[in-house]
Amino acid sequence: MKIHYVTGIAAIFVVAVHILTRVVVPYAHSLEFEYIISNYHNIYYTILLEAILILISIHGFNGLRIILVELRQTRLWESSMTIITIVAMIGIIGFGTRTIILASGM
Amino acid sequence: MESLEDERGNREGIKGWLNPFRYGWERVSYWFQRITGVFLLIYFIGHVYETSNIINGADAWKAFLDLTQTTWGHIFLLLVIGASTFHSANGIRLIFTEIGLGLGTPGRPDYPYSATSLNYKQKSGIWIALILAAVAMLYGVNVLFGSE
Repeated sequence: MKIHYVTGIAAIFVVAVHILTRVVVPYAHSLEFEYIISNYHNIYYTILLEAILILISIHGFNGLRIILVELRQTRLWESSMTIITIVAMIGIIGFGTRTIILASGM
Repeated sequence: MESLEDERGNREGIKGWLNPFRYGWERVSYWFQRITGVFLLIYFIGHVYETSNIINGADAWKAFLDLTQTTWGHIFLLLVIGASTFHSANGIRLIFTEIGLGLGTPGRPDYPYSATSLNYKQKSGIWIALILAAVAMLYGVNVLFGSE
């Protein structure tokens, strides 16, 4: 559970910064294409987005694995759920990272 | 002879943890934490997909925003705000519980055998999480619907 707690606490802080960057400007402006692209071109904000992506993916899919393993306890089920959630987690991290790289123009 | 897998069978399954009539508020908190967690994971996957539209240019981004920036889209976002606030605050309570904070001290088991671990501190933590979620949702209403 340690990884779940560490990623959970860390995610609270990085998501708080992410939300703050949205609410310091009017809501409609925060969704404008140019504003978002300018955010992606800020290296610190890009690192923050990648941190959010990794932390929430680990926390979310590990949480889902815990729920699924609670429902049924056989070795095959437990190992299958672990593999499926890890694959899904890697898939989401890869897809989100692709967006961050392309949008930031790296 | 029963196999190890039979012995470890969880016969109640999902009905067992959804049953709200056992264990009181702690049980409600238990399944709220799981329901909000699954809901937030679904939102997170959708959000990662939604933001990927930014790489297709301004028109594609605006077209996708038009799908989500509706009254129902805002109501959905309010649920995300409430769920994430509850999940965070209740998650912190659970971490405190795991490290032994707010559990009380063991005592002699006298009738009516109330568990010292399920004390007012734990219940207060659940209520604080619910109140914070309500306050965050009210703030969300102000931001999302305030300019309309």
